[in-house]
Amino acid sequence: MYKKTFIGGVHPNDGKEYARNIPYQEFLPKGDLVFPLNQHIGKPAKPVVEKGDEVRMGQVIAEADGFVSANIASSCSGKVKAIEKRRTVAGTVVPCIVIENDGQYTPADGVGIETNPDTLTNQEILSRIQAAGIVGLGGAGFPTHVKLAPKNPEEIQYVIANGAECEPYITCDDQLMRTHPEEIVTGLKIMLKLFPAAEGVVLIEENKPEAIAAMEKACSGESKVRVHPVHTKYPQGGERSIISVIAGKHLKLGMLPADAGCVVDNVATVRAIYRAVCKSEPVMERGFTVSGDAVKNPCNLIVKIGTSFSEVLEAAGGIKDGMEAQKALCGGPMMGIAMASLNVPICKNNNALTVLSVDEVAEAEKKMTSCLRCGRCNQVCPLGLTPQMMAVAAEKKNYERFEKKLYGMECIACGSCTYTCPAKRPLMQLFKQAKAEIMAARRK
Amino acid sequence: MNKLLNVSSSPHVRSRLSTGSVMYDVILALMPATFFGVYRHGLDALIVIAMSVISAVMTEFVFDYVAKRPNTVKDGSAVVTGLLLALCLPAHVPLYVPYLGSLFAILFAKCLFGGLGHNFMNPALSGRCFLLIAFSGIVADFSVDGVSMATPLEQLAAGETVNLVNAFLGFGNGVIGCSTAALMLGGLYLWVVSGITFEIPVAIFVSCSAFLALFGGHGFDPAFILLHLVSGGIMMGAFFMATDPVTSPVTSTGQLLYGTLIGILCGIFRVYGSAADSVSYAIIISNMVVPLIDEISVPVPYGLRSQEKKEFPKSALILCAITLIAGVCLSGVFELTEDTIAEQQMAANIASYQEVCPEAVDFSYDDGISAAVEALDGEIYGTDFGKAYINEVVVGSDASGNVVGYVISATSGDGFDGNITMSVGISTDGTVNAIAFTEINETAGMGMLCAEDNFKSQFSGVNTTKFTLNKAGNSTAEDEIDSVSGASTTSGAVVNAVNAALDFFAANVK
Repeated sequence: MYKKTFIGGVHPNDGKEYARNIPYQEFLPKGDLVFPLNQHIGKPAKPVVEKGDEVRMGQVIAEADGFVSANIASSCSGKVKAIEKRRTVAGTVVPCIVIENDGQYTPADGVGIETNPDTLTNQEILSRIQAAGIVGLGGAGFPTHVKLAPKNPEEIQYVIANGAECEPYITCDDQLMRTHPEEIVTGLKIMLKLFPAAEGVVLIEENKPEAIAAMEKACSGESKVRVHPVHTKYPQGGERSIISVIAGKHLKLGMLPADAGCVVDNVATVRAIYRAVCKSEPVMERGFTVSGDAVKNPCNLIVKIGTSFSEVLEAAGGIKDGMEAQKALCGGPMMGIAMASLNVPICKNNNALTVLSVDEVAEAEKKMTSCLRCGRCNQVCPLGLTPQMMAVAAEKKNYERFEKKLYGMECIACGSCTYTCPAKRPLMQLFKQAKAEIMAARRK
Repeated sequence: MNKLLNVSSSPHVRSRLSTGSVMYDVILALMPATFFGVYRHGLDALIVIAMSVISAVMTEFVFDYVAKRPNTVKDGSAVVTGLLLALCLPAHVPLYVPYLGSLFAILFAKCLFGGLGHNFMNPALSGRCFLLIAFSGIVADFSVDGVSMATPLEQLAAGETVNLVNAFLGFGNGVIGCSTAALMLGGLYLWVVSGITFEIPVAIFVSCSAFLALFGGHGFDPAFILLHLVSGGIMMGAFFMATDPVTSPVTSTGQLLYGTLIGILCGIFRVYGSAADSVSYAIIISNMVVPLIDEISVPVPYGLRSQEKKEFPKSALILCAITLIAGVCLSGVFELTEDTIAEQQMAANIASYQEVCPEAVDFSYDDGISAAVEALDGEIYGTDFGKAYINEVVVGSDASGNVVGYVISATSGDGFDGNITMSVGISTDGTVNAIAFTEINETAGMGMLCAEDNFKSQFSGVNTTKFTLNKAGNSTAEDEIDSVSGASTTSGAVVNAVNAALDFFAANVK
């Protein structure tokens, strides 16, 4: 059963031509590095340094608070300047550790020591991953050591490295697969040790032929790892889309990939696992794309976690001459977060800065008409929901109907319905609001 | 980069589609049918189309202005409504017909309900149905070059043979947009650009074909079914009217159910009711069921399907039941009205009996004579009277029960526009008392003049075995009948029917 795609989805202009062939460049920040304590799903980490402490690159500066949480390591050497509340990508103000960068990048003890993964037990592998503070680097930020310890490790059939990168404009995973395919394959093989019955799959969209070729070359001769090219369609990189393609199963709300016999991790996360296990290296840097029509020199960078977005935009040459940026997105245009200001730090799970010269949402608002009931939103929904009816229920604040009759809580906020709507209805916004209000009512 | 940037909820990009582009696609898809209509029917068709579109756009513009609502003309939906309505009209109609039709469609079916997206009924179709009711004679008059001709569907209903290829290409009689081929081309385009889904048209074709095969009286006859599918607006309805997004269900299951409902209703109307506007009414009725269909066809998300598989059959069953009940009700209504029609027919008959046999107070059947009528077996009577039929003979008697005369109901099938049926009153000695028409649908101002006394009275008080028609209109003899000027066909048909009655009288009654 070789499936090429999932049901539904859309084909937005992928904008990958801006940066797809620009090789990685390492970018070293000049300013202070800021580390929000909640860069992951779960409880925020607890700081283990104090103001004035000297830290080295790779040193843990905040420890996981409980099992579902993650360590945070400093990505530079220098002095702790402050532990204070700062604004982050989403606009919220959260506690952060601010480190004054000395520009030396002196590594901490033990960082970079080579280890042969075959000599390690499963428990040792998991504890190295946990110590390195690895979280889902694709965007979710879910602690990886939790994901890799499901209740049923022997029932896992597929360990999937997600290289779909379906979000428009973003090309950092593409570059990673082209430049470090063997590190991804090794990372995948380390994961397979935890799941004896599983097969390793690298899922890549067909618009990345170089990455597919590189990964296939790295996989040749491997018996348990294969490359699975799929059609280019958004949201192919969503966990549920991937599982429906690879395992032929559909998840529902509350189900984990492990319930369908799958473990899905972004290729960047898989590579981080390799670095953590074989090189004793915590998550300190990551591949990062700066792109969009308003960026002077779109590029792929290796950035230090904690670097400010405004610094990486400068590294990409800033705004194109004669253009004005209307919108800056953390991530891509489909699921990214619009930022009011760029003076916020890059977290582990942030993979791109997309700067656009046209605010299509504002344009769309001017063209908005009544719903035509054309049903295009239903056709593109990758979950088989009915956004048209959900929007009517959400507008009327009929949350009972939204949740029970229309299964509105299943929505993964991929935005396909909103993208495709000819009447330019703000569907996603209505759904997010409805879901937030339903969740708030549940907590009461 | 110190100023604050715009923020909004994701996604931050939008497709190129807009309400305008969706409407533009529909207009484009209607172009083949429009061009063919203008090619086939000439400039008149173009003028009707222009009138209809202008009226639709102006109505919306004026309404928006008067109601102080944002101007919605530029979304193109009024143009679509006007164009669709025009394509459903004959080419040679007075211009007030498309004007009023579009006005009704836009004002009453759309604007008053809140404009685009809020109407519960397809505006173009409601405009058409309004015209059918208000101007039935004009809207159903499909004349080409001034000669009135039946549409393929009417021919089909009358049991005549129809050229399938002509009907398919649109060379049969009909409305401006009657080219099935051109409409299918447009429908295909719309499907390719995702303007419509395949569910609705396919469900209509399949269910209507199935219904016709089961109840159409021809069994599974592909030629018969195909003819039905290519004529009478099914293509227009299936591709452009039923698929109107605003008034059709939003889910795939719902669309299948809705299409099936339309197909079955259409079949019911065609087999048991008036064939001509079956599609319009089938769609309009189905439009009204759409909210209900939407409600029962909410799909279960993929991830929950296995647990709740029972959902689909349940909703399908509900809809089948609705369709069945609707079908039964509608056929019931037809049965009821059929009886009423028969009763009215009988009342009209008695009135005409008295008109032609005034001395009689009671009418009854004579077994011997009725047996002779039955022996004719509904076949054409004799050889000298064209397509004449003897329907029945009643005996008229006075208050004391004495026979005072006979009334023979005779029909001629040679009328210009269908059958002419009349009652011929004959006294016991064979003198014609008078004639009266019970069914006549001839051309107004011409054939219909035969129903006037000037013509009819020529038969009264004449004792003959046979009348002759004088086409010159200068008869001198008593048994010569002056033809109505310009309506010799109708006049001849009447004379033949009267002669048939006299012949039957001489042979079986006297």
